[in-house]
Amino acid sequence: MRHIFIIWLLAVGFSNVAVAQLDSIQKLEEVFLSDGKLVQYAAGSKVEQLNDSIIAKNPVSLTGLLSFNSNLYFKENGFGMVSSPSFRGTNASQTAVIWNGININSQLNGQTDFNTMNVTNFDVIDIRSGGGSVQYGSGAIGGSIHLGNSLEFNSHFDNSIRLSYGSFNTKMTNASSSFGNSKFSGNVNIAYVDSDNDHKYLGTDRVNENGEFDNLNLNVNLGYFISDNDVLKLYHQSYNGSRNFSGTLVAPSNSKYEDENYRTMLEWTRISGAVSSKLKAVHLHEKFKYFENKDNNIFSFGKVNTFILNHNFNWRLSNTLQFRSILEFNQFNGGGSSFGDSERSAFSATALINHRPSKNLEYNVNVRKDFTSDFNNPLLFSVDAAYRVSNLYIIQFNGSKNFRIPTFNDLYWQPGGNLSLEPESSYQLDLGHNFRFKSLNINLNTYYITTKDLIQWRPDNTGVWQPINVAKSHSYGVELEGQSTLKFRNHTFTFSGHYSYTVSENLETNKQLIYVPFHKGNLSMAHSFKSFSMFYQQLFNGEVFIIGNDLDGFNVANIGMGYELNKKGKVGYNVNFRVNNLYNKNYQNVALRPMPNRNYQILTTIKF
Amino acid sequence: MKLNKVLLLTFAIGVFFTSCSNDDDAPIVPKGDYENGILVVHEGNFGQGNASVSFVTFDLNTVENDVFNNVNGDLLGDTAQSISFNGDLAYIVLNVSNKIEIVNRYTFESVATIDTGLNNPRYIAFYDGKGYVTNWGDGTNVNDDYVAVIDLSTNTLASTIISVEEGPEEIVVSGNTIYVAHQGGFGQNNKISIINGPFNALDKTITVGDVPNSLQLDSSGNLWVLCGGKPSWTGDETGGQLFKINTTDNTFTSMDFGGTEHPNFLSFENGSIYYYLGGSVYKMDGTATALPTSAEITGLSFYNMTVHDGILYGVDAKDFTSNGSLTSYDLSTNSETNTATVNIIPGGIYFN
Repeated sequence: MRHIFIIWLLAVGFSNVAVAQLDSIQKLEEVFLSDGKLVQYAAGSKVEQLNDSIIAKNPVSLTGLLSFNSNLYFKENGFGMVSSPSFRGTNASQTAVIWNGININSQLNGQTDFNTMNVTNFDVIDIRSGGGSVQYGSGAIGGSIHLGNSLEFNSHFDNSIRLSYGSFNTKMTNASSSFGNSKFSGNVNIAYVDSDNDHKYLGTDRVNENGEFDNLNLNVNLGYFISDNDVLKLYHQSYNGSRNFSGTLVAPSNSKYEDENYRTMLEWTRISGAVSSKLKAVHLHEKFKYFENKDNNIFSFGKVNTFILNHNFNWRLSNTLQFRSILEFNQFNGGGSSFGDSERSAFSATALINHRPSKNLEYNVNVRKDFTSDFNNPLLFSVDAAYRVSNLYIIQFNGSKNFRIPTFNDLYWQPGGNLSLEPESSYQLDLGHNFRFKSLNINLNTYYITTKDLIQWRPDNTGVWQPINVAKSHSYGVELEGQSTLKFRNHTFTFSGHYSYTVSENLETNKQLIYVPFHKGNLSMAHSFKSFSMFYQQLFNGEVFIIGNDLDGFNVANIGMGYELNKKGKVGYNVNFRVNNLYNKNYQNVALRPMPNRNYQILTTIKF
Repeated sequence: MKLNKVLLLTFAIGVFFTSCSNDDDAPIVPKGDYENGILVVHEGNFGQGNASVSFVTFDLNTVENDVFNNVNGDLLGDTAQSISFNGDLAYIVLNVSNKIEIVNRYTFESVATIDTGLNNPRYIAFYDGKGYVTNWGDGTNVNDDYVAVIDLSTNTLASTIISVEEGPEEIVVSGNTIYVAHQGGFGQNNKISIINGPFNALDKTITVGDVPNSLQLDSSGNLWVLCGGKPSWTGDETGGQLFKINTTDNTFTSMDFGGTEHPNFLSFENGSIYYYLGGSVYKMDGTATALPTSAEITGLSFYNMTVHDGILYGVDAKDFTSNGSLTSYDLSTNSETNTATVNIIPGGIYFN
């Protein structure tokens, strides 16, 4: 993971790496990262990276990992149920999810369900706050979440098997293998999760009755140096899940949801001198089946196949100036019970310039234009800059215009689908301050986002619900985060915390939008001593408005400890025990959908 | 709304003392806080569990929202579809909660809950000590629709259900016959089921126009059935129709609306028919042989309406996430008299 560390240093601002070394580092980025622009063209954007040690501490759910370790807010219909991320007062379809550089938000509803993603599939997770549509396309209004896989081109052969059992008969298994040499690298991970999910509804004598789920994830990533200058890589991810959808406190449910996602990307990178090019061919497949009654074989379905051709061309004109162009063609073929077979195509052209006029200043200027078969798109742009005031203090600034295109549901759903919709468009400004002390990092960001032509479904005068470009909103707020690592002798302590204050208003009514907490914060603490480790994490999610009412905030905590056996041998064992919802809090993330009571999990890992 | 209760109590005490001073009259004791007024039932948002009932005084000057919750300290449920009254009891049918809350109609105190045997219940009617509840079954299954039968003395479901065609909706009782309109659930249907009360079984099914959305009995033994027709998005648009069924022999006559006209919300009062079409309210004499050509009131946006004592009451659900409204119109002058803000998605208006 050494290269990740180097990249991290770059991402947080400016490393003290000498200029002479930059060339080789950027070469490394092009080779190792499928999404090099996240590092190279983002000086003025806040990018927070969750590294593999944080990921390893939170293997239960990606939703849990991110809500306890970032500024992201999740609207989760219960453990294992649909869970959608958002931040900076926007909604889930204004939050782009990027898999190895490719936007994977559903073409059907514009969102990504984080309970269909297994934490163990990813080596690195970056959270890029603020508008990013120029680089990442539709939906990158509040920000984007980057799920990445890395390939290590060195001689290794590492395997691990992880078994976990917990409350509500929750079983998790995963097996992974990573192998390679200087020419070839690969990793395979297979993960299976199964839960009865029949937790208590605290404060009642009832349990969650229709919440059982299981899912299978398979990840395969392969890379091969065809020549000294050419690398061929294949990324693949499969997800197959079956979930019963829980009811609410006042409405029973008997429904079931099956979904599948297949993502495959073939990537050819060529680097020669100052020029590098990357050609990607991608196939994304999404399909769901919804059964109103799980005991009946009557279902509705929707599916979309997406084909993407993407070309990245990067030219380093000098050590301080580089240019990148991105051309992307998308073809979408959809079908489903509520709309006939429909297709659309899109083409986008993007130009990025990165300039470092002095040792302490770096800026980027980016533009993008999309051409879509069904509607017109705005010209998008972004400008960002970072200035190093001192070795301890960096100022970041970015401003951008971003968009979200209408989904297949918005356009084609019968009845209601509206072919005259326009994309939502948004402007945003963001100012960040980074303080880097010896063992303490602090980021403070303030932002303003205004979005118009928001797509909302409303009934027309015949009572048919139809999406229209109707509302305007704005949001502004403050984000504060800090990390600290302290070491004494064999003890290592890490602390991290996030807090966000978010105002997000509908400009018609001047009311805070529903499901946007004014306050959200988390704190986590980890301690390791020789073979022993433990952590404690706490999440505070403030009160939110819901339709016609409000929903109380909540404060929940998890605790865990681990012990590593046989640390020095060839075969390593690791045992972890974890308590979720430590204080047994009765809380709801979404109204009338109680979250699990206190629950336990034991986890063993064998590495060989 | 404590003030309201205090006022009512003061009024009650006043009436009590006035009554006592006159030994000839029996004392008039109010039956509860919610007597003499309007009950507005709100669907709330599907799946959000925010169904509610509001009490509104006849002059629309005073509104108490969330009556069920205020009295019983419990949420009403998800998607309240309708209320029907039987004696002093009100039966609130909760579609998504698959239950019926039975309350005293004047005090709103909970009497019983029926939460087994129902699947997407819609409306209830009463005959001979039994309640007949229309159920869609699974909305996506066209073959599992039924009328559930409730023993009103025990509030339990009878073991027999009456299987019916797709999408049973409104239900009315005329003499010994129970009529069920099949609007069609998520689709569109065009049937009326006729249930023989004494036999407690389906007698026959007759075909009417597409999407029979409302039923009204008149005083001369006719059942009026308003059919909305299929909407244009189905690709097979049909115009509305008004059917008049003679309940003695189930023969019928009908009148046709224009091919793109989709009427709804039928009301009947004092020999006149009222309905809503394209943002306007129309009135027709029950003996007329042709549909009216001009509207009584125009420029409306109703999610439901009803006529009571010469007053038209209409509810507007607005954008379905904000508070709706209840508005009254004097039908002698066709002018608006008052309007009140109620809860999220008001869908039914009833009189207590």
